[in-house]
Amino acid sequence: MVTIQMRKFGTILNSRPAGREAALRVKQIVNGANGDISLDFSKVDLLTPSFADEFIQGVKRLYQDKKVEPTGFSENKVIEDTLKVVKALD
Amino acid sequence: MKLTYENINDKIKEVLNGNQADLSDVSHLDSWSLALVLSILIEKQREAKKRLILPTNKDLLRYLKEIGFSEILDELNYKKEAKLLDGIEATGQEDLNIKKITHCRLRSHFDGKLSYFLETFREFGLKKIDPERVTSLIGELGNNSFDHNLGNWPTDFMGCLIIVKNYPKEKYVQVIVSDAGVGFLTSLLPAFPELKNDIEALRKGLRGNTGRVGEKRGNGLKVIQDWTIKNFSGKVSIQSGEGLIEVDKNGMHEEKCNKILGTIAQLTLHY
Repeated sequence: MVTIQMRKFGTILNSRPAGREAALRVKQIVNGANGDISLDFSKVDLLTPSFADEFIQGVKRLYQDKKVEPTGFSENKVIEDTLKVVKALD
Repeated sequence: MKLTYENINDKIKEVLNGNQADLSDVSHLDSWSLALVLSILIEKQREAKKRLILPTNKDLLRYLKEIGFSEILDELNYKKEAKLLDGIEATGQEDLNIKKITHCRLRSHFDGKLSYFLETFREFGLKKIDPERVTSLIGELGNNSFDHNLGNWPTDFMGCLIIVKNYPKEKYVQVIVSDAGVGFLTSLLPAFPELKNDIEALRKGLRGNTGRVGEKRGNGLKVIQDWTIKNFSGKVSIQSGEGLIEVDKNGMHEEKCNKILGTIAQLTLHY
């Protein structure tokens, strides 16, 4: 399992261009490692649907054979709702 | 004369005369009316014979000074009026429930301002996770401004204006994000050529799935209305061009209005 610490992209995650850029960075961080991908949202304050849509779809497109699992949002209901909107919690 | 969300569509004719906006008889401007007046001033900014007559009401002048109206006027080249407003004596007592108008010219500026709004809503007294949710809503509205107008702003006044105000006794906040952009119809028409007018375009936008040509996206406004209604028992009002749509728990209400350049979106959020 590769864990991406989302707070390292910032505590406020906004906009489609930033989401696309972050998805591309994930490719460099994973760098061919085996296992599924955990997206850890702990200590992130804000995740807008625009960022989430681009980022989650971007990572899923890159890793169609891996499970992409968001984690660490249990204390932030807005992040949970946003992840539901972009169908990241199926 | 009081200019409010409810009467501005009728009253604006008494204020506007060609390239002149005469606010001398105005004693009150709510946030929506302020955004609408700004939209008009932006549209007229390049007119050689543009003119703005400031209100004579001292309380309104002080309010306009406190919310940074003169800075926007200065930017729009209403230099004389900006200077006049700057000369008004302030009350010296900061009203923490009223914030200065924020103009985010670029997306990077807007991104940077979101932490300020998050802190603002915490200061307003919104509880638990509400500041995060309201700031996310501002994020979505502002993102729409930049996503749909990048490289194609109709005037030199790029970006979005954000107005936030807290009503602590009534326990609600009002948030406005406006822009002098291309508007819903122009933005959606290439992907949806069947759209006939501003109201149809607004309706389409609010129903979601409105990615522009070549995109699979466009649920931002759907999220905005869902969260506003479900989480804040609130109301979404959006005017684009000459169309106005309001959405709350009772459904959608549509109205044809005086045409504006771009879009004004207002959220009324109870907490």
